[in-house]
Amino acid sequence: MEHSERPEYPDDHKRFSLNEDWAATIVGLVLFLACLLGLLTPELIP
Amino acid sequence: MSAADRTADETVPAAAAPAAPAPGSPAPPAPEPAPPTKASPAWTLAGLAVVVLLAWLVSVLTDQVPELTAGTWFGNIAESIEYPVYAIALGFAGNTVLSATGVRRRMAAAFRTEFFIKIGLVLLGATVNFAIVVRAAGPAVLQAVLLITVVFLFTWWFAGLLGLDDKLRALLATALSICGVSAAVAAAGAVEAKKEQLAYTATLVIVFAVPSIFLLPWLANLMGLSPAVTGAWIGGNIDTTAAVTAAGAVAGEQPLQIASIVKVTQNALLGVVAVLLSLYFSLRVASSAPAEQGRRFGDRSTLAVIWSRFPKFVLGFLLASVVATVLAESLPEAVLEPRLDAAKELQTWALTLAFVAIGLEFNASSVREAGWKPILVFAAATLVNLVVGLGLAVLLFRGFTF
Repeated sequence: MEHSERPEYPDDHKRFSLNEDWAATIVGLVLFLACLLGLLTPELIP
Repeated sequence: MSAADRTADETVPAAAAPAAPAPGSPAPPAPEPAPPTKASPAWTLAGLAVVVLLAWLVSVLTDQVPELTAGTWFGNIAESIEYPVYAIALGFAGNTVLSATGVRRRMAAAFRTEFFIKIGLVLLGATVNFAIVVRAAGPAVLQAVLLITVVFLFTWWFAGLLGLDDKLRALLATALSICGVSAAVAAAGAVEAKKEQLAYTATLVIVFAVPSIFLLPWLANLMGLSPAVTGAWIGGNIDTTAAVTAAGAVAGEQPLQIASIVKVTQNALLGVVAVLLSLYFSLRVASSAPAEQGRRFGDRSTLAVIWSRFPKFVLGFLLASVVATVLAESLPEAVLEPRLDAAKELQTWALTLAFVAIGLEFNASSVREAGWKPILVFAAATLVNLVVGLGLAVLLFRGFTF
C-alpha cells in the first residue's frame, strides 16, 4: 500500500490524545489547587 | 495536538500532526517518503523556550504598548488590543523566523496548542460561576445539537455535490460542525481517512479560524450584540477551541465565558458524532478491505467509544467551576479573591502559550495541495455556520443575563 493511501488508524491518535487530554486536565487542576492553597500567588506569577 | 509526533514525518504539515502515530504505537506499514526528523529533548526544550519567551513578550507588549503610546494617534487603538492579538501575531512572526532558519520542525514537539488550551480552559472554569454554567447549559446544548446537525448535513451535501470522497466529506463536515482539528482527528479515526485528507482539513480549520478571531468580535460589536449572544455566536461558529477562546478574550470577559461553555458543549458531543460516523461508515460506506472490516463498529460498545472520544478537560472545567463556586459561598472574599486572581493569571498564561503556538505550528503547504474544492466547501459551510449560528445565538441567548 502506498504511503498516500495508508488510512489513519483510530488507535494511532486515540492513545496519545487520551493521555494528552488527561495530562492537561490534571495539570490544570493541580495549578488551580496550588492557587487555592496559596502556594502560587499573583505576586509569584510574572 | 500531538505535536510530538509530527516531527516523525517531515511530509506531514504541522496542522495534521494529530494523525501521526502515537509514541509506542505500531509503526506505519508503509515506508515514509522523506527521511524522518526525530524530536530530540534538546530541540523540544528549545521550542518550549521559544513559546515561553514569546508569551512573556506578549505580556510585556500588552502592558507597555498602551502606556508608551498614550497621547499619540495609536494610543486609543493600543488600548483596545487584547493579548490574543499580540500572541497570534508573534506566533506567526516566530513561525516565519524559525521556518527561515530551518529549525521549526525540529522544535515542533513544543508547539502544543491543544495541551495549553485545555489547561487554560480548566483554569477558566475557576472563574466561571457554576450557576452560569447551569443556566447556559440548556441553550448551549440546544444550540450545539441544532448547529452541528445543520452544518454537518450542509457540508456533507455540498461536498458530495462537488464530488469529494466520502471520507473527506466526513472529515470536513465534522471539523466544521464540531471542534475543528480535534473533531477531524476523531472523525479520521472513525472513518479511517487518509493522512493527507486529515492534513488539509486540519490546515483549513486554522486558515479559516484565525481571521474569525478578529472578525467575529468586530462584527458582534458592529451589530450591537449582547455579551451572551456574542459569546454564543463565537462559541458556535469558530471551529477550533483555541480560536474560540482567543475570539472570546478579544470580545471580553463575559463573551469569553459563554463562548467557552458553548464550545465545551460542542466538544462534549464529539463522541456521539464519532459513534454515528463509525456506525454509518460501517454499514454504508466502508470498503471491503480486510483492515476496514476489522474496524467495524461492533468492536466495542457505544458507551465505550463515546467515553474514549469525550474530551476529559471538560470534567476539569466543570470541577474547577464547582469548587470555586462552593468556596465563594463559604470563604471570606478577602481570602478567596487573591487565590482566584492567581488562577486567572495562570489561565491567561496558558491561553497565551496556546495562542502563540497557533501561529508557530501553522503550515500552509497542505492548503496548496488540497485544491479548490475543499476550500470552497469550507467557505460555504462557514457562511452557513455564521448565519444559522447567529440566528440560534440571538434566539437562545437573547435574554441571558450574568
